[in-house]
Amino acid sequence: MRRFLKIFKVAFKSINKNRTRSLLTMLGIIIGVAAVIMTISAGEGATLQVENQISGLGTNLLMIQTKSEHKAGINVRMGRPIDEKDFDMLQKNSVWMPQLSPLVAIGAQAIGPSGYKSTMVYGVSYDYFYITSRAIESGSFFTEDDVRTAKKYCVIGETIREELFPGEDPIGQQIRIDKVPFTVIGLLTEEGSGGMQDMDDIIIAPYTTVQNRLYGHQRGYTMIMASALSEDHIADAEMEATELLRESHKIKDEDEDDFEIMTQIELQEITGNITGILTILLGAVASISLLVGGIGIMNIMLVSVTERTREIGTRLAIGARESDILTQFLIEAVVLSLVGGLLGVLFGIIGNQIIYKATSFYIPTAIYSILIGFGFAAFVGVTFGYFPARKAAKLNPIDALRYE
Amino acid sequence: MPLKKVIETKKLSRVFKNGEIEVHALTDVDMVIEEGEFVAIMGASGSGKSTLLHIIGCLDRATSGEYDLDGVRVNTLNKNQLADVRNQKIGFIFQSYNLLSRTTALENVELPLIYDRTGRFSNSKELAKKALEQVDLADRIYHKTNELSGGQQQRVAIARALVNNPALILADEPTGNLDSKASIDIADLFVQLNNKGKTIVMITHEPEIAQFAKRMLYLRDGRIISDKIIENRSTKAFAMKELEKPITP
Repeated sequence: MRRFLKIFKVAFKSINKNRTRSLLTMLGIIIGVAAVIMTISAGEGATLQVENQISGLGTNLLMIQTKSEHKAGINVRMGRPIDEKDFDMLQKNSVWMPQLSPLVAIGAQAIGPSGYKSTMVYGVSYDYFYITSRAIESGSFFTEDDVRTAKKYCVIGETIREELFPGEDPIGQQIRIDKVPFTVIGLLTEEGSGGMQDMDDIIIAPYTTVQNRLYGHQRGYTMIMASALSEDHIADAEMEATELLRESHKIKDEDEDDFEIMTQIELQEITGNITGILTILLGAVASISLLVGGIGIMNIMLVSVTERTREIGTRLAIGARESDILTQFLIEAVVLSLVGGLLGVLFGIIGNQIIYKATSFYIPTAIYSILIGFGFAAFVGVTFGYFPARKAAKLNPIDALRYE
Repeated sequence: MPLKKVIETKKLSRVFKNGEIEVHALTDVDMVIEEGEFVAIMGASGSGKSTLLHIIGCLDRATSGEYDLDGVRVNTLNKNQLADVRNQKIGFIFQSYNLLSRTTALENVELPLIYDRTGRFSNSKELAKKALEQVDLADRIYHKTNELSGGQQQRVAIARALVNNPALILADEPTGNLDSKASIDIADLFVQLNNKGKTIVMITHEPEIAQFAKRMLYLRDGRIISDKIIENRSTKAFAMKELEKPITP
């Protein structure tokens, strides 16, 4: 053990003697490890954000919509549209879905007293606020009566307020949505932007009004949103909705559904898969740089072995065993890659912080990314260090002493 | 009491095979070197003196014959054992010093002790300091090798050869890279060390340096052709005086 410590010291001294070169050698590993940590963490950050967004969509959410298929690059509706009949039938018969709301989505331009904005208008029923667990900041939601009588009321998100009523209280004011006048009766609590979609760039109105005034009396809904009784009953709710709809759509046993039901859990799984693949891809690309860094170490170590042939010869002559030389050069390579790995971890964490400060895109430094980065650096050091070290150890002392 | 034999070889031969061609570098070398001797080995290049040095230095193995070093039969040992023998019983001195660059004299002298597996040296720093004192470099301990003159570097190398208290000091053209004055200093240092009881074998092709030794072996074509005691050994004072003489054609 003491001899090992001594050889460790020898290796460390020789790294220290060529400081610039050692640093440049480490640079490859530093960049590689930092890249691995930052890309994996960025992937994790994206996953986290998407997950938050999906769980922010609602409580125990189910979305029932007409089946669509990708054909020649566009989405084509396949079955009959989900409509009022389906909604009434579900509301009457469903046991597992206490809250149901139609959703009629339409892109429209909203004009206020001080500005205008293109946005999404969601026509919904009162239950929508419960299903999506959105809260009101000021004013109030519209009531079931307002829906029945198709009142031209609307609730707006914070982004809309900023554009249409900068610095003003919007409650009670008039806005025009595609030329139809609406009264703003409520302001939604800010959900915070971030990620793919701004949850506050939204106008919510009774679906009856949207259908009659904006949708051009078109039949059918964009989808029916529903909330299952509890998280444990999402699957039950899905099965129930499937059965009820098949029955009312008169679908034969051997035929496929002409509608699609997406649950929050499925949504989470799908996006989780996508971001997971993204993370792996990014990480793989980053590890290539780590591999290149490893080759850099091997290259420098090989040069170093040639350059120090006489030193190796001398060491062998005064009694170093082959294993001593092997250990020395292996330690040099491993120390180079470990120190490089450590610095890489440091720079990776700092880099994540910088990105967070600069873009407010939160990147949690994943512990496992540190382990992967650092472990890979150590692995690279040993594998790429072994070949040069073996070459050094196998030198014939006589030839090594004569080497010019 | 008969003196201890440091080196004893019997019919030592070394044949290099290069494809079909066999080169007999050494043929049937018999020699005995006893404790306290100072032997100069001379010979033209190609005479086999380097091969002989490599074999007695345990860097190479004889093709046939027997070799005992300090009572150990060396020609049957494996690589690791040979490394240990080199570490424990031999101190090497090379023509071009072979010191670690940009490293202090002290660290260079400590080097053989790093590879010691017997655990017989407890304080390597103290031992290295003592060895440097023996070669008159007590005031250069922390100088780096590139801050020392050629003669001083060779003294560091000699200190390195002394530090493990070896049975044999083996010098391969120790004055080959030095000017005449430094060469005489080094030769004189060998005489002093020999007077303290060190056994020294030195390869050289400078006759005036060989003249400092007690005994001279002459090699030609891989055989010892002459083995004689040197009658009128050179001294530092004499050699310095000789330097001042004009060269007579």
